[in-house]
Order: sequence, then structure tokens, then C-alpha cells
Amino acid sequence: MRYGGDNRSRLLVVTLIVTSLFLITLDLRGVSIVTGLRHGAQSAMAPFQRAASTALSPVGNFFSDVTHLGRTRAQLKKLEDQNSLLRKSIIRNKDLATEVKQLKSVLDLSGKAEYKIVNARIISQGTSASFSQSITIDVGANLHVTRDMTVICGDGLVGVVKEVYSSSALVMLVSDPEFHVGARIAGSQEIGILNGEGTDVGTLQLLASQSSIKVGDILLARGSVNGKPFVPGVPIGVVTSIPNSAGSVSQMAKVRYFVHLHALGIVAVVLKPPATDPRDSLVPIKPTPIPTPTVTIFVTPSSISSTPSPSVSQTSK
Amino acid sequence: MLTRHSVLTGALFLAVFGLQLATVDQIHLPFGGFSIFLIFVLSWSALSSPEVGAVAGFFAGFLLDIAPTASGPIGEWTLILTIVGFGIAFLRYGDDSLRTNPLSLVVMVAFSVVVSMSAFLLLTLLLGSELGNAKQAAKTILGNGLWTLAIAPFVLPIASRLHRAVFETREIA
Repeated sequence: MRYGGDNRSRLLVVTLIVTSLFLITLDLRGVSIVTGLRHGAQSAMAPFQRAASTALSPVGNFFSDVTHLGRTRAQLKKLEDQNSLLRKSIIRNKDLATEVKQLKSVLDLSGKAEYKIVNARIISQGTSASFSQSITIDVGANLHVTRDMTVICGDGLVGVVKEVYSSSALVMLVSDPEFHVGARIAGSQEIGILNGEGTDVGTLQLLASQSSIKVGDILLARGSVNGKPFVPGVPIGVVTSIPNSAGSVSQMAKVRYFVHLHALGIVAVVLKPPATDPRDSLVPIKPTPIPTPTVTIFVTPSSISSTPSPSVSQTSK
Repeated sequence: MLTRHSVLTGALFLAVFGLQLATVDQIHLPFGGFSIFLIFVLSWSALSSPEVGAVAGFFAGFLLDIAPTASGPIGEWTLILTIVGFGIAFLRYGDDSLRTNPLSLVVMVAFSVVVSMSAFLLLTLLLGSELGNAKQAAKTILGNGLWTLAIAPFVLPIASRLHRAVFETREIA
């Protein structure tokens, strides 16, 4: 049966369409009554939406997750790879930061003493099987490094070049048992010979039996003729103890090296000694302790009140 | 009688509208999901006379327009669903083969959903609003059509029974 319709129904449809257009016009002109309806609807629906959201939250993303399973796995793999790269990058950055710090300190030291240096990276540590204390650095004859050149780092004396190859060199560390260096005490200028003992502590043998030495004295390299094997003024270490030497011909002292031989990364080979002896200018500055504020509470009996009243004062330690 | 029909229809539409907002919209389905409200309203219109279809479309469109998630101006869905509601009722009313074949009704409802959404898209563009990626919009419309084909067979019997209970005149075969 074909629907024919009549004037009444046509009028109804036209009225509805015109009403719709009227609503659109009102809304586009920004009539607030119309826009307020949405706020009302939102307020009315919000509690139901919240309740349904809580109830459906475990399954809400189920269907979309199922369809995205392959994509999610690929994304996960991609993120894991990115994470791994970032981890490596962080480790590399930390390593670089340490190297930069060491490089800066060695440049500061050599700049202050006016040493002409060439920087080197440690490429190998000596093996413990040989009992010798040595390192291999990545510069050699290609950068004019020769035997018996002093090797330093930011903290002080590292050792001396023993063997030179085309692009690397073997350095005997200051702690090697065969290592001997002429040293002087900063300030008093007493001289002696420091011997390595295979540890972080060396033994100083003073030449004069009447020398006055005390714990805390700082040792510097005395320097050799033409700066080989040792340039003058390089800090070596600090006296930590003076063994009882009654009856001995010369005085002895235990010296802890400034250089942390197990944490070396960047060093420098001194190619040319300074024109003048830097004397004591390279003595490391002692760190000054920062005062920590402490709060002290004094309890004094009050003359008015029967209970003691506390008073607070701040002091520095 | 007319008042009873209107009140019952309005209450049913409000209930389905609430169901749409509170539950169906919370589930993230692929390809844009479906609108159970649109399916129900268009099924209702298809089972009604053209006048009732137009009025039902008008009321349903107004509800969609005041929905918190609506993007266009108020009156846009009202206009579209008035016309589509009238159109689907008019087509079904005049075609006996469609009336006796439930499958054709499902296809017609799905087609009406696609037409309604496309008309909304077009009208929104004409009114100068932004709709974002055209490819995504096309995917959503097509996805809604396909979802409607899958969901409508379950909604239609319910809509038919409720329609018969309200009007007591027509029912699906």
C-alpha cells in the first residue's frame, strides 16, 4: 500500500524541519538557553556514566585491545628497543661526564704549571699476574711521546712512560715496586726518595737523618734534568704515618698517593717541562668544611609561670 | 491516546539514550563502534507511520543534540533524524516486500545509519565546523554501518515488541 499522506502530515513534517532549523539558528547565534541544555544533560547523566565507567572499566578497552594486539606487541618491542638505547646512552653520558671531569682537572693542573701535555685515554690496565703496576695509553710515537716522560692526571703524578709504540705507550704506575721518584716536602723543601710498594701507599725515605716531617705534609716531585723522567712540582701524595725509626740512619714515612690508581680514565703525558719550576704552586688546596647549623634548646625556669619555658638558639659546628 | 504514545515513546527513547551514554559509549570498539540509540530510533521509525517516524526522529535528534558528547550545534541531529525518520517510515510504509522481510529491514536500518552520519558530516562541514581527518571520518561511518548490520538483528525484535506494546497496531513478521 503506497502511503499518500495528507496536508496535516505534510504540515507536521515541515513544522518539525523548520523547528530544527530554528534551533540551529538559535544555537549558532549563541542563545544561552539552548546551550544550557547540554550542561543540564551532562549533570543528569554524570552519575550514571561514572557508575557505568567503574563497572565497565575492566572490559572497556577489551575489544580495542584485542584488535590492536599485534600493533601493541610491535609497539612494545619498539619501546623496549628505545629503552635499551636510552639506557646505553645514559651509561655512555655518565662515562663521558667522568672523562670530561678528569680531562678538565688534568688541564687545570698542567695549565697552572705550564706543562706542555698530550692527553691520553687508558686502553688497558696491567695484569695482576705480572705483579707490575702499569697501564697502556692510546698515544705513542705518533704524538711525540718518548720514554721517561712524566704521566699525570688532575690529582697529580700517575707514573712514567716505560715503553713507546707507534700509537700506544706503556706507563709504569707510581705504585709499582720498581718505581722510585725524587720528592720534596712542600714548604720545608726536605728531599727524599719515594718508593712504590704495589699498593695505594708508598714509602718515603728522607735523605737527611735530622729532617723534620709530620703527618699531613704534602710531597711534590723534585724534578729531573731536562724534565725526564720527572717534571718538577707535580703533587704526589700526603704523609699518613711516620713509623718509629729510632736507631735508623734516615727517617721514613708512609705516603698515600693523591691519584686514585684504580679509577683512572684520562691522563696526560708531559711533553715539555715548564721553563721555570712551579715550586709549591700545585699543592692541592685543602677542602674547607661547611658549617652545619645545629639547633640547641635551652630550658630555663620562668619566673612567672611554674612550667619551664624552652628557648631556642642556633649555633654552628 | 496520542499523549500516551508520546510519553511512552519518549520514556523508551530516554532509557535507550541513557544506555548509550552510560554503557555503550564506555566500551571502546574498533572502527568507531555503534550507536544503539540510532539503531533503536531508526528501527522504531521504520515500524511507524511517516508522521510518527518524523516525530520520533525529531525527539531522538534533539536528545542527541543535547548529549554532552555532541559536537555540532543544537538542532543539527534534530533536522537530520526528522528527515531520515520520516524517510525510512515512508519507504517501509509503501513497500510490502520490505515489511514482510526482516533482513531487508536490517539492511535499511544500517543504510539509514550511514546516511544519517554522512548527512551529519556534510551539514557540519557546511556550518563551518572542523571534523578532523576525512579518512578517519569515513572509516567511522562505514564501521558504524557494519556494526549496525551485526547489532540490528538483536535490537529489532526488542524494538518490534516494544512498538507493538505501545501502539498495538504493527509488528515485525
